[in-house]
Amino acid sequence: MLKLFERDILSVDEISKAQTGIDVRDLCVHLNHKPVLNNINIRIPKNKITALIGQSGCGKTTLLNSFNRMNELNKNHACSGEVWIKDRNIYDRKEKVAKLRTQIGMVFQRPNPFPMSIYENVVFGLKIQGENNRRKLDDSVERALRNAALWEEVKDRLFDSALMLSGGQQQRLMIARALALEPEILLLDEPTSALDPLTTLYIEELINELKKQCTLVIVTHNMQQAARVSDYAAFMHKGELIEFSDSDSLFTMPAKQQTEDYITGRYG
Amino acid sequence: MLKKYLNHFKHSLAETSAMLCVSSLIIFLIAMVLFIGFKGGQYFVPQSIYKVVVSFNDGPASDEAFYQASSLSAEALQTQYLERYQGQFLSQPELRPGVSVTPAEQVYQINTRSGPVYFGEFYALSSPEQELHPLTELENLKQAVDLLERSLNEVQGNKLSDLHSRIAALNNSDVAKEAPARQDLMDEFSKWQLQASALKTQIQQFQMRFKEADGSLVSVPLIEIDELFQANQLTQIERIGFTLNKLWQFIADKPKQAATTGGVFPAIFGTVLMVLLMAVVVAPFGIIAAIYLHEYAPDNKITGLIRIGISNMAAVPSIVYGVFGLGFFVYVLGGSLDALFYSNTLPSPTFGTPGLLWASLTMGLLTLPVVIVSAEEGLKRVPEGLRAGSYALGATKYETVLKVVVPMASPGMLTGVILAIARAAGEVAPLILVGAVKFAPNLPIDAEFPFVHLERQFMHLGVFIYDGAFHNQTQTQSASLMFATCMLLLIIVFLLNISAIMFRHRLKTRYERH
Repeated sequence: MLKLFERDILSVDEISKAQTGIDVRDLCVHLNHKPVLNNINIRIPKNKITALIGQSGCGKTTLLNSFNRMNELNKNHACSGEVWIKDRNIYDRKEKVAKLRTQIGMVFQRPNPFPMSIYENVVFGLKIQGENNRRKLDDSVERALRNAALWEEVKDRLFDSALMLSGGQQQRLMIARALALEPEILLLDEPTSALDPLTTLYIEELINELKKQCTLVIVTHNMQQAARVSDYAAFMHKGELIEFSDSDSLFTMPAKQQTEDYITGRYG
Repeated sequence: MLKKYLNHFKHSLAETSAMLCVSSLIIFLIAMVLFIGFKGGQYFVPQSIYKVVVSFNDGPASDEAFYQASSLSAEALQTQYLERYQGQFLSQPELRPGVSVTPAEQVYQINTRSGPVYFGEFYALSSPEQELHPLTELENLKQAVDLLERSLNEVQGNKLSDLHSRIAALNNSDVAKEAPARQDLMDEFSKWQLQASALKTQIQQFQMRFKEADGSLVSVPLIEIDELFQANQLTQIERIGFTLNKLWQFIADKPKQAATTGGVFPAIFGTVLMVLLMAVVVAPFGIIAAIYLHEYAPDNKITGLIRIGISNMAAVPSIVYGVFGLGFFVYVLGGSLDALFYSNTLPSPTFGTPGLLWASLTMGLLTLPVVIVSAEEGLKRVPEGLRAGSYALGATKYETVLKVVVPMASPGMLTGVILAIARAAGEVAPLILVGAVKFAPNLPIDAEFPFVHLERQFMHLGVFIYDGAFHNQTQTQSASLMFATCMLLLIIVFLLNISAIMFRHRLKTRYERH
């Protein structure tokens, strides 16, 4: 009887290896000669939405960036530890970073469409991969835009500049752009912080839909949003992972005092 | 109270002085453009002819009379002459001559092919038969001259040069002077030479006679006359026609009569070719350097030093580049090229002498910092978010630079190249050292194999102006040709700069949406 009410959310300790999307082991990251992440261990479950919360500067974005090695764009960075995705350590020396990033999509805080047409924006990643077959490109544009719930709005103006879209549309275009590569993991770095509440809701629904296809990790400052959309939540503070559990328990009965203080708004 | 007043005064003083500075700057700029435009424009407008009579006190026999073309009014010209003549008699006011200036309506202006300009009333046309023809016969006589000229060309071009080369062939094969074949040729040669000189004298005898202001007669051979018109009698339409003709001549013709009239086509051609060559060299170099500096170079002291070096390169006086170009490109590079590939023509140099190629390379070096700095400026304006977006989609650094960064920064790069072109189009000092000359007999591109002659010297607008300013100070006409060239250069540089500004603006609006 109880099972009817229970969502298929396991508690964090019960997640098996097969159900793990990203397995972070002893990850330490230094940026600009300062420690940003300190010994992070976290197993992010597959095909679920995991929210990273915490105050500004606590290392959420750095953690997110270490999943697709974007931290390496910073010239002064150092990291140790392992991040396992699909039975391989992405920090392995043999790992090809560009190839890795095609499997792990990322959406940024501010929409950053290239100054090209909508179509060109969506196929950018595919073209980089050497896909030039027009029909395949057309197909994946349609699929990606449908998945990002943007198809109906832009199907008549695919070759207009992407800069002409509104902020919410641009952000969905960014999601479509990432989805076009059919990634296993989608990283969202405060994807709705620059959008109005209604558009935010729209994107949240979209995110919920997407978990069928991929593992989602979302960084957000908005507690309600984290509680609304996420299945799991991780609270971070000053580079440490304080608490990680399913969202229901984290937001209703946090195990740590720090977490409670933060989500009830006592600091941060 | 006083303090408050003082404070207020200080503020208004600062504001007023700033306004004064800006407005005087703008006024100065506008005045400069207007002055150059006015002086240059005079070159295209027909000048009126005046008769100037200077009467001295020792009787009418000593009067001086002459015609003068001027764009001034009669009164203004009179004042000018009065000042000039009376200045010589400051201490003896009673000896001061009188000057009268009257428009000379019937007077013709005769521009000759060899240079001098005559003014005079028409007197008669004369042909070898010594008849006095009226002016209506002019066309007939011109046709006769044309006919004679054609037969002279026939004699000179075909007969004489043919004979000449045959004699030269005999000379080469050491045929004795008294050999009959040689004698025959020599006889024939002198025969045709006689005929040629007879034709020449015949042509010279077709003349036009003018009465000058003092009543004396001047004869000008018809063949010498380039243009003939009554400047004061031109109708409005004729004046416009004159101006258009002059404009066309200015753009499309060679400079004539020691660069006093004619056009500046070779200078335009040389300038354009030089800056194009320079752009071809400097654009890839500068842009690749900028991409390396901004995208790839590590952020350390050495990169900082390189940046400082580039800024300093922009501040090096241009003559230093000229000297470097002469010393390195012309003497070292050109000299070794000659030694390697053109040793059969040595000691006369091919590339080891100032020329178009070396001028372009020198200007390329001179404008390199401009291109690097603006290209880097363009790269800086590409938002980091776009780069991150590209990386996140699996692009490598090279692909990101090639597909996202460079297309977005291209207006900045283009701006740099345009500014470099504007700079090179207006530069003079280094060009004089490395290949620009005041008169080049041939264009650097012509029908002669290999069609593009990069080793040739060329003409350049800036150098042409410099030359005009220094070597033809006395003649008013050449001064206005110089001003007209100046105006042209100003227009070219303005247009280039405006297009650079427009590109920069487009770049800005492109990023504003981010």
